[in-house]
Amino acid sequence: MRKIDIFRLTFIFISLFITLLLVFAIVALFLVPDPEDVWHNLLSEEMRYSLKLSLLTGLVSTLLVMLFSLPIGYTLSRFQFPGKSFVKTIIDLPVAFPELVLGLCLLLLFGNTWVGKALQSVGLNFVFTVKGVVVAQFFTALPYASRIMKSTFDYIDPRMEFVSRSLGYSRFETFVNISLPLARNGILASTVIAFARCIGTFGTVLILAGGTYMKTEVLPITLYLNISYGNMGMALTSGIVLMVVSFIAIYIFEKTEVGL
Amino acid sequence: MSFLQIDNLSINLGEFHLQQVSFALEQSDYLTIIGPTGAGKTILLESIIGFWKPDSGRISMENRDITDELPERRRIGIVYQDYALLPHFTVYKNIAYGLKKTEETNIREKVLDISSSLGIDHLLHRKPATLSGGEQQRAALARALVVRPKLLLMDEPLSALDPKTRRETRILLKRAIRERDTTVIHITHDMKDVWALANKVAIFREGRLLQFGSIEQVFTRPRSEFIADFVGASIFDGKVTACHSGVSTIQINGINLVSLDHADPGTEVKVAVRPEDIIVTKIPPKEISAQNIIGARLDEIVSEGNTCILKLSSGRISLDVLVANNAVERLQLEPGDEVYAIIKGANVRIV
Repeated sequence: MRKIDIFRLTFIFISLFITLLLVFAIVALFLVPDPEDVWHNLLSEEMRYSLKLSLLTGLVSTLLVMLFSLPIGYTLSRFQFPGKSFVKTIIDLPVAFPELVLGLCLLLLFGNTWVGKALQSVGLNFVFTVKGVVVAQFFTALPYASRIMKSTFDYIDPRMEFVSRSLGYSRFETFVNISLPLARNGILASTVIAFARCIGTFGTVLILAGGTYMKTEVLPITLYLNISYGNMGMALTSGIVLMVVSFIAIYIFEKTEVGL
Repeated sequence: MSFLQIDNLSINLGEFHLQQVSFALEQSDYLTIIGPTGAGKTILLESIIGFWKPDSGRISMENRDITDELPERRRIGIVYQDYALLPHFTVYKNIAYGLKKTEETNIREKVLDISSSLGIDHLLHRKPATLSGGEQQRAALARALVVRPKLLLMDEPLSALDPKTRRETRILLKRAIRERDTTVIHITHDMKDVWALANKVAIFREGRLLQFGSIEQVFTRPRSEFIADFVGASIFDGKVTACHSGVSTIQINGINLVSLDHADPGTEVKVAVRPEDIIVTKIPPKEISAQNIIGARLDEIVSEGNTCILKLSSGRISLDVLVANNAVERLQLEPGDEVYAIIKGANVRIV
């Protein structure tokens, strides 16, 4: 008979215990509210506004995030230049930064500094506006997407690109013909994670764009506002919607088999 | 001026570097580069093609300085050990990829032509991942050759293949290169590649070019002990005792060897003998033109596939002799046998 491995059993037990706690917490979110109530809340004017604004800002931010994280990820993976590690640290910073602090920094920058004033003079006012929601989401999600893109490009053999160039294709043509198609899974993973981050961003949005009812109200703000008025039904409903979005995102991410 | 001219090329990429490398190739030369790992061989190829910018030095091709030219304009092809085929393209699209950039017509014909001459025309619709190593390497070769590069660079193209496939691929490679009259630089670890394919050899070590020349020059006249050892020759320290009418006598640990190389009597020299230049017999040879006949003991027989290395010792010197397997059977050689090693004076080289 095999001896019982106490070490193995203990570690597996710890992993299972925490997983179960999380599962119970998630299940509670779906079980506590009355389904009819949830449906009713979903159709309410506030929820429809919040859902629509979340999807709209989420899509725009994700698009912008990808537009920037592709070149940033490629740069960090392929090029050596002075100040590279500085760029890497600063871009990664928001991963460890509290969202509220990031929001505060952005609020200061886009507020009364010359940068803010210059942008406002061309019609880009990010403080307490819907545009601000996009900016807040953009900066929160960018590090995650850039990291995934960097590790995706790290896994693509640069010699594939070398061969393409030896056959007469320029750097840009090679990027389009070789690097992007080979990075397909990574781009998908990074887009999905960026979208989930954008939809779920709370602190940065709250500080920069403000949590104004039916104005800059995205799903996490709805959850927050309704909890503070004691309207549990609406809070739970936005929680459920956010949870569903993250589940789909993580599921697709796992499918693409890209490492962070 | 030569077809390809490398002048004082230096580059430092941290882990790998090249120092003051200079050599020149003529049109349709086939150069093999050998040297231990970390010698900077791959960096040399990737500098010639333009992926790295040299710190100093000059590369010119057809009398034009291409040191600062973009890689995509140099018309230099490259083949890697791990093929570097594009996994999202079929074999056909891989081979046609370069042609699509340069010409609009005849792409199909050209792809079919090269793939049938390399024996992969039945694989064109497949994805690279479904091919064997040999097939992938032929596809990579086809992709590089189909655009008719002025110069083809190959980084250990046969190393990842099993011995049988390697032999077959080597034959196909040789034919394809000959048909197109392509100038080639080929990095290898396998001396068989050198013998079968090349007319020139370069030996690198720690970023430096140690010796460059025709196969004949490098293999029979290795310029240093390291090179001799690397290319498989036995090296002996000796002293020249006599030299007249073009024949030198060198004393090595009590044994006299006769060489056709000139050396002044009294000088200390190193002598190189290649293992395939030694004949072994069990009967003492009489009336033979060769000038060196050494009585020796057979210590060990080391099998190397089709060939064997016989390890002989005579007094304090030891000799490696390369023979075919059937020679061991024919002579019924066994460790412990007393044999005679015969070496022509022309094959005893003073290095």
